[in-house]
Amino acid sequence: MGEQFKRLSGEWMTPRRRFLSALYGGRVDKVPAMTLSSVITLEAMEIADAYFPEAHLDAEQMARLAATAHEDLGLDTVMPVFHSQLEADALDAATWWGTVDNWPATSAHVLHDPEDFSIPSDYLKRPSFEAVLGAIRLLRKRYPEVAIVGKVYGPWSVGFHLVGIENFLMGTITEPDAIRRYLEVLLPASMMSAHAQFEAGADAVMWADHANRELVSPQTYRDFLLEMHQQVTEEMGGPSILHCCGETTDRIDYFAEAGWDCFHFESQVDPHVAKEITGGRMSLMGNINNPTTLFSGTYDDCYQACMNVLEAGVDGVAPEGSVPLGTKMEVLQALADSARDYSNAHRPDGRLVVHDPPPSPSDENGEA
Amino acid sequence: MAQLSDIVNETVRAEIEEFLDRPEEIERNIELFSRASPAMQDIAAALIEGDNITVDRLTVQALADGVEAIEIMDDGLIAGMGIVGIKFREGFVFVPEVLVSARAMKAGMAHIEPILAASGVEPIGTVIMGTVQGDLHDIGKNLCIMMLRGGGFTAIDLGVNTSPDEFLEAVRENDAHLIGMSALLTTTMPNMARTVEHFKDAGLRDQVRFMVGGAPVTPEFGEEVGADGYGKDALACVELAKKLAAELRT
Repeated sequence: MGEQFKRLSGEWMTPRRRFLSALYGGRVDKVPAMTLSSVITLEAMEIADAYFPEAHLDAEQMARLAATAHEDLGLDTVMPVFHSQLEADALDAATWWGTVDNWPATSAHVLHDPEDFSIPSDYLKRPSFEAVLGAIRLLRKRYPEVAIVGKVYGPWSVGFHLVGIENFLMGTITEPDAIRRYLEVLLPASMMSAHAQFEAGADAVMWADHANRELVSPQTYRDFLLEMHQQVTEEMGGPSILHCCGETTDRIDYFAEAGWDCFHFESQVDPHVAKEITGGRMSLMGNINNPTTLFSGTYDDCYQACMNVLEAGVDGVAPEGSVPLGTKMEVLQALADSARDYSNAHRPDGRLVVHDPPPSPSDENGEA
Repeated sequence: MAQLSDIVNETVRAEIEEFLDRPEEIERNIELFSRASPAMQDIAAALIEGDNITVDRLTVQALADGVEAIEIMDDGLIAGMGIVGIKFREGFVFVPEVLVSARAMKAGMAHIEPILAASGVEPIGTVIMGTVQGDLHDIGKNLCIMMLRGGGFTAIDLGVNTSPDEFLEAVRENDAHLIGMSALLTTTMPNMARTVEHFKDAGLRDQVRFMVGGAPVTPEFGEEVGADGYGKDALACVELAKKLAAELRT
């Protein structure tokens, strides 16, 4: 772990600095290529000698596996929360931890009344948290110059796990006050998760609340989540990234209004349109299609898709969501390669800045 | 030719006027509802509004009044759900609204299904439905099942996290030839291909037709995994099932 990051010609920022600057829409030496959701593949498990499902509950395996995003794919970030069960499992939802080639999921819903909910006193000490917080600490120690992204499921998505997605969604019409109460009581659990991940060493936390067009109207987001998300972005205590799956064009304006620093968005959304709607109010990252481009496509497909997204002016390229486990790492390599080539071909422009590398400590001796 | 004004129920009339845009759908629904009795129009209207209690009451009432179960299903429940399906497709309503209407349809079907089963009405075909392995999301699949049953199919629900082998066993057990696979996650979509492969390995691929669907699934992805068709939503699923069932019969 001696080399913290691989500095290439023309690059003077550390991956961590580059990511954080891009997150806030600032100057970068190179557009970052990232993982904000999982890029773990079966190949990565072989390389790291760390496998699902054990890696979900083992900090060391989780950290090794997460590190492949930087070590083997050259990405500027690592992201150890591969699954969606972190909070739900610690809140007593029955979890099926999956297999080596299948993802964990909630297998039974436990909550029928918001008034029955309470956060367990050992919530942050439960196995899912011990693993994630432990992995973040290990990654921070081993990769001080690489950005670490944490992941939290917000009360809307945790509600899907605990109450059941069908009951939860139907409740927005039949019992809206009960749904609001669920959101209210679940929010502290998500906030505790975010704070704990920052404290462990995460540079930014991605907050997932799946209020996408495939499920609900933009008005539902506005009526149930907008105000709560404004509170979240104010109180989260660090850089915030919203993730919302699917087609979200009709609600991006609300996301920006909520105060998120960045939106991790999917390929159903035209990046040009997203840029126009956000107007610089939050940065945009992601957008590389999983099933067609990354899973079924080639290196060239991914490279071209990244170039298209970069041309549209997004602040960083990343898969749109967690990639299928059978995705080839060779294809994922195109994320970093395309970001490098795009940046080399476009510097300097408004956001890409040519800069001399910072002086090494030995050069500074005796200098004013 | 029937006119919108021939439809007695005000809600149904307003729904057609406000939400239907395609001429052939407007014509078909005006035709359908104008020949439906006022009682059936009332059932459809209550279903569109997601009022399960009223649908339940009106269905019981209609059966007591001697209306045939098949007529209640076709002219009341399915006709109402058809409007909901169009509104969903066009983005006027979303999953919560569809779920509430589906609950109302279920309330009516609870009275209708036993009667149809006892009367020996032959189904169009048997469809094996499941969410693929590793995926525990079932809203879309459940809506498809409800619409398939309403559309005259026997739908066997394998639930969520369905392994390729479970699909295969269900096909053998039920002598079924149609399979519907659903996935919500891009991470689990590849399991659709594994299921198709499993049928190839078992020498059964040519005897069945695969339908795929789910939020991240596309027609192109369906082709890639070797499926026979893709359904964008529950309405499309029923149309596809009918098409594939007809192909199988020839």
